[in-house]
Amino acid sequence: MKMTIPSFLRSLCTAIALSFAAPTVLADAYNARLPDEINSAPDLCSYAPCAEVLPGATAFTERKGRPFYVEGYAEREGKRELVGYVMLSTDITDIPAYSGKPVITLIGMDAQGHFAGVKILKHSEPILLLGIPESAMVRFNEQYLGKFVGSNIEVGRTRPGEDVIGLDAISGATVTVIAQNQVMMTSGAAVARQVGILEPVVREPARLKETGATLDWATLVREGSVKRLTVRPEQVGLPRDGGEPFIDLWFGYLNQPDVGRAILGEGAWRNLMARLDDTEHAIFVIRSGGQESFKGSGFVRGGLYDRVQIRQGSDTFTFRDLDYYNLYNVAAAGAPAYSESAIFIVRPEHQGASFSGAYPWKFVFLGNRVDRATGQRSFANFDTEFWIPAHYLEGGRPVIRKPTPTWLRVWQTRALEIGLFATLLVTVAAVYANRDRLTRASTHKNKWPVNAFKYTAWVISIGYVGFYLMAQPSITQVLTWFHALLFQWTWELFLTDPFIFLFWIFIIVTVFLWGRGLFCGWLCPFGSLSELLYKIGGWVGLKRYQFKLPKPLHDKLKWVKYAVFFGLLAVSVLSMTLAEMLAEVEPFKTTFLVGLFNRSWPYTLFAAGLLGLSIFIERPFCKYLCPLGAALAMPSTFRWFGLKRKQECDSCKACAVGCGSLAIDKDGRIDQRECLLCLDCMVLYTDDHGCPPLAQERKRRTKAGLPLTPIGADGYYIPIKPVAAAKPASA
Amino acid sequence: MVNPTMPTDPVEPPYAASGTLGLIAAELWDHLWPWSRAAFAGQKAHWRALQAAGLALAAGATLMWVLAAMGRLEAGAIIGWWFGWSVFEVIVRLGSKPYVKEGPWWGRRYRKAGLMDMVCYVGFKNLLIGATLFIALKSAGLLVL
Repeated sequence: MKMTIPSFLRSLCTAIALSFAAPTVLADAYNARLPDEINSAPDLCSYAPCAEVLPGATAFTERKGRPFYVEGYAEREGKRELVGYVMLSTDITDIPAYSGKPVITLIGMDAQGHFAGVKILKHSEPILLLGIPESAMVRFNEQYLGKFVGSNIEVGRTRPGEDVIGLDAISGATVTVIAQNQVMMTSGAAVARQVGILEPVVREPARLKETGATLDWATLVREGSVKRLTVRPEQVGLPRDGGEPFIDLWFGYLNQPDVGRAILGEGAWRNLMARLDDTEHAIFVIRSGGQESFKGSGFVRGGLYDRVQIRQGSDTFTFRDLDYYNLYNVAAAGAPAYSESAIFIVRPEHQGASFSGAYPWKFVFLGNRVDRATGQRSFANFDTEFWIPAHYLEGGRPVIRKPTPTWLRVWQTRALEIGLFATLLVTVAAVYANRDRLTRASTHKNKWPVNAFKYTAWVISIGYVGFYLMAQPSITQVLTWFHALLFQWTWELFLTDPFIFLFWIFIIVTVFLWGRGLFCGWLCPFGSLSELLYKIGGWVGLKRYQFKLPKPLHDKLKWVKYAVFFGLLAVSVLSMTLAEMLAEVEPFKTTFLVGLFNRSWPYTLFAAGLLGLSIFIERPFCKYLCPLGAALAMPSTFRWFGLKRKQECDSCKACAVGCGSLAIDKDGRIDQRECLLCLDCMVLYTDDHGCPPLAQERKRRTKAGLPLTPIGADGYYIPIKPVAAAKPASA
Repeated sequence: MVNPTMPTDPVEPPYAASGTLGLIAAELWDHLWPWSRAAFAGQKAHWRALQAAGLALAAGATLMWVLAAMGRLEAGAIIGWWFGWSVFEVIVRLGSKPYVKEGPWWGRRYRKAGLMDMVCYVGFKNLLIGATLFIALKSAGLLVL
């Protein structure tokens, strides 16, 4: 039998499907598959849209320089004219964004050093998949256009006094844009220095000291005059080969007389120094392990050694054939056997930069990493820092002021907000730790001693934490950590979002102390909004329409959230992209990060529907759907300090009837995984007018004329124990 | 009579009255070894068969970690094994050591484990063990992703 669907229904289904799919379609750079050649082909612009980021250019050179860039030219009146430069960010830096993977960006810069165009070719940022449209990232990148690469550009406020140009961040994607800014400025500056747009950094030359000591290999290694760089096969995505390294290199600085003599021998060292002028520096390299050549198998005369380079600060020094001398023998006693060797000469003036042996530098091995899952190659470099030992320098090592790390700058610039947020977390924890005092001060008719704190926490959480700071914890963060753990864990990345970082510390600590209820019930912005709506609904006269689901139905539905959580976890193993999409079951992005009216209608309808339902049912999302709640409920099974119960609770239903979370069963037991620590049952626990066994005892004592002693920690009146009368004194 | 001060009925494992060191050692053993001789002897034939199969699975899990350490297994396979083993461990423990700790971890209160209690316990414990092994193997360069 053929089933026909009415045309209007078909149109409706199509429209719904398109509406859901629209944001995904727009996220066209999310995990986009790029051609392998984009990372390595000389003709970068055959594989990347260079003309889009360098308007006016019609012809592009092959990759050149170190790090790589291409030149873009235009034909004007029959003449070829330089328009500017195009660079692929991963040719220059592999700074990871929030996902732990770099945002691969094509950057155009005009001949005067102004950014001319930016295009994201590939990213793995979950927030840009469905939450924030990629157009927001495009708008962020457009802020660079026309700005000079040498300017001090930061995400945040413009500070004219400090010569800082500020960029508007993307709300909810702070870490991503901070990483993107680093990528833009690092890439732009690296190319601008090479082509002479930016002045080189001038470093004071080293004043080397000769000690006359005779050094063997072990001493050279111990004092740091010879350093090692080992790359293992797994670091470049190859299978392990019985412990054999991919390449194992040793290197050192030969201008220092004691070291130079020890490595080369007196005669060879003097010959070498005689061939160098004052600004030139010699570095030796030997390969003691691995089969990979550091000189490169495809090296041609007149070409560039493309597997090794030196970096000092933001300056990169590469080696041409004329910068290479043979190293025939290592004289130092105890030197390892080696199968490849070289002496490379750093000639700073050839590269428009200054190099000083007094300052630290890095020896870099350039490679490609193969992603075993996708087979795609990506840029990777491996380095080891070298800083000549202080005793070889007149006056010792110079003092270096390292730039403040980005994450620290974020903490510094948002110190007040962070302080307020931390105060909120500590205060809520302290208030809850003193819950016994608050619940004793409350009665079942007047719960304000508890509620004043709780409602204040809700309002601050919704307004300040949710809408202002956008610090809504989410299951996507758990999945992102999982991803980062698998690929590249960097503390700096997580420290860059201080609010989420602090919130998770709070969550982890309080879940083990008291269970998930303190976060879910007191501080989760969406949960707070949900329950506040329920309370407001009651206050404005909708109480008669408010209801709880029957307990048996609730006891079935509560498992749905665990199914959602386990489903997301299982999907994340197979596909993080799909898991991130399915994590839209959380309405957090729609509510706080993007805004109810800034998303396509199915998302808005879903979030608004849940909030609307919250007016009539207490926290429906938290009870039945929230995957984060489920994830936190599981360790809550083993919280250290639970709520108190009396033996009479097994038959008394007073607390169970009032439990908004439906967490108390027919036997009076509390399900700690469902309890949101509202403390209503704890108010009753010591209320001698609310708790039936206590009220009974109060009436009994009053009738018998016995005193009402204080209520002890066990929830009962302190027993009256008659004191034995003193014996009369003997006559 | 139900004791409402605990989410489930209180239980005393055989080592509950041991001294501090004995208790720590017994609990450590409990975390790592899901089987119990007493429960095995007192169980029906099909449960015994299940337990015996579990021992084989445990040997398989050990082999899996050895293979992982030798760089012979992909992350997906390891996660699959971890999940499969955890499900099996839940079933075994519900038959052999059906209790979990209640309250502070340094305390001596135990209670009967429901299915969800056991899922939470095994999931959480194996997550910690798995994460530790995973990070250790990865930082030693023995696991490649």
